[in-house]
Amino acid sequence: MEESLNRHSKISAADLERLSKEAKGEATPSSARIVWNEFKADKPAMVALVIIVAFILFVMIAALFIDTPKMMETDIMNYNAAPGTNGFILGADTGGRPIFQQLIVGARNSIGIAMGLTVISSTFGICWGLISGYFNGLIDWGMQRVYDFMMMLPMTMMIIVLVTIIKNYNAITLTLIFSVFYWEGTSRLIRSRTLSESEKDYVAAAKTSGTGNFKIIFSEIMPNISSLLIVDTTLSFAENIGVETGLSYLGFGLPMHTPSLGTLIANANDPNNITQYWWTWLPAALLIIILCLSISYVGQVVRRSADASQRQGAAD
Amino acid sequence: MSLVEIKNLKVHYPIRSGFFNRITDSVNAVDGISFNIEAGETYGLVGESGSGKSTTGKSVVGLEKVTSGSIMYKGKDITKKANRKSLDYNHDVQMIFQDSLSSLNPRKRIEDIIAEPLRNFEHLDKDSEKLRVLQLLDIVGLDADALYKYPHQFSGGQRQRIGVARAVATNPKLIIADEPVSALDLSVQAQVLNFMKKIQREFNISYLFISHDLGVVRHMCNNIAIMNNGRLVEIGTRDDIYNHPMHIYTKRLLAAIPETNVSQRAEHRAQRLAVEEVYREQQDKYYDKDGLAYPLVQITPTHSVALPEALAEQLKHEGEVQA
Ligand SMILES: Nc1ncnc2c1ncn2[C@@H]1O[C@H](COP(=O)(O)OP(=O)(O)OP(=O)(O)O)[C@@H](O)[C@H]1O
Ligand SMILES: [Mg+2]
Repeated sequence: MEESLNRHSKISAADLERLSKEAKGEATPSSARIVWNEFKADKPAMVALVIIVAFILFVMIAALFIDTPKMMETDIMNYNAAPGTNGFILGADTGGRPIFQQLIVGARNSIGIAMGLTVISSTFGICWGLISGYFNGLIDWGMQRVYDFMMMLPMTMMIIVLVTIIKNYNAITLTLIFSVFYWEGTSRLIRSRTLSESEKDYVAAAKTSGTGNFKIIFSEIMPNISSLLIVDTTLSFAENIGVETGLSYLGFGLPMHTPSLGTLIANANDPNNITQYWWTWLPAALLIIILCLSISYVGQVVRRSADASQRQGAAD
Repeated sequence: MSLVEIKNLKVHYPIRSGFFNRITDSVNAVDGISFNIEAGETYGLVGESGSGKSTTGKSVVGLEKVTSGSIMYKGKDITKKANRKSLDYNHDVQMIFQDSLSSLNPRKRIEDIIAEPLRNFEHLDKDSEKLRVLQLLDIVGLDADALYKYPHQFSGGQRQRIGVARAVATNPKLIIADEPVSALDLSVQAQVLNFMKKIQREFNISYLFISHDLGVVRHMCNNIAIMNNGRLVEIGTRDDIYNHPMHIYTKRLLAAIPETNVSQRAEHRAQRLAVEEVYREQQDKYYDKDGLAYPLVQITPTHSVALPEALAEQLKHEGEVQA
């Protein structure tokens, strides 16, 4: 082949460097560049991104300086202290515990759990869906029966039972318990896209080019459904913040002495708090709303940049 | 010995239905076909849409699970996966796909697309791989700046040539070309076809050239098989098929080639209508009671046609009288 190619093409080793340099100049921008251009073109998304990054960094770092057990000690003297009094920036709750500090530690816990849950359950769900959809046939059949079984289990009830059975649970065990139940939606979605994607000729071309099955799944098909992956992952992240806060709100999430956004919102269970002591629950509620909105906004922009026809940013 | 020998190949797709999703019937996409492809030749496979051409092509590259029959290459039956593996079969047999856009991964740069078979079969070092890709691009008439672009940045004809570059990258012995030009306009068609002929001469490649267009096939192929509903109805050389067609289906396909000469248009139209008339009247003579083609019978050493013995004999005589 080599000789015959050399015979028929004027290009030789000497031209290699010059030609590849020329080609580099004409190259289409990398995907990171495209995402960044897209953010620059969409100001609200930029703001959302800054809010998320700054907030997460602030919470992670500030939480290191807070002594949680000491903060959570009851202090009768400051029972429901109003914001701004006695050095309480956002006031104190019924136990005299500072809301502002609880908010920081709580947000860190909630976001940490949501991130862990998203990483574990999305990774698992995506792999499950890709493999099940690609292999089709017997493997798919078996994997789908496992999926059906998991869907049959009443999720919230199972989590509550597990949390009650396990005596000493903390943020990590809670994340793992959630993860067992939150990969199914993702996997079904990914499977159906993979089914139709595997039919396309580029997959057949990869097979005749000698590429192995798993390489085809993860380096040919996966990039092609990346916009779906991104949207699904960001939406599950926003949703997963809700999962933990929801259960903590019901009293089955994190243990009492560990603050989270959910335990803070649970302050609203008390009618007195709702009407008079708004500072005990309102900041946490607002925080969740802003956070979830920002996340879905960022998700949209990333999806747009993954989809060439919807881009708003300049090409270069 | 032929390069590839296809014997009694069948590909049936199951149809599942009913409450228990059981197999109740099957689509016989390919229903017992046999032919041989010689080294260095272009073998034409012609038939209307849905006649099973692509399915045949995909079976020959090893993409389709065949129901029964054999495809022999270098003395091994490559319908078995283990044999394809041990022969490094796709190093030698490649495919140009019907739809050039969907056969190029939209997320990959041209360099990675063309280099994919090289990476899997030849394991070159980085520089010689890139050099090879650049040479291939040059041969198919694309500039070096295509290297880092994506498939959607090219025109249909350019994409088809990228598909060709990928197929010839490992210097295969046989390329399945599945309607390589049917999505292109006439001038680009000629360009791609001439180019395929050129690389055939240079690299001594065989083609299995799949098409529904007898005009294009005449330009490309020495031997031709006509396919109808999963079966072969006529096999022969170019001369056999174009000048002495025997099966009514072949005659119909030939009559459907558009006439470019304006002065003969009316005459051509009359002839087409006549063939259509004969087809309607004599259809049951040419097909068995299930509407399927008969087994092939040999007329001359190169020419076979799917007819009952008696009719074949009769037509053969008529042919001799005419000639
Ligand atoms: N995966 C499949 N499942 C069921 N039936 C199929 C499948 N693939 C193809 N078929 C059927 O097999 C027959 C032959 O299909 P094939 O794609 O080989 O036709 P073709 O001759 O290439 O047609 P065209 O010229 O339109 O490309 C068709 O009737 C089609 O419906
Ligand atoms: Mg086809």
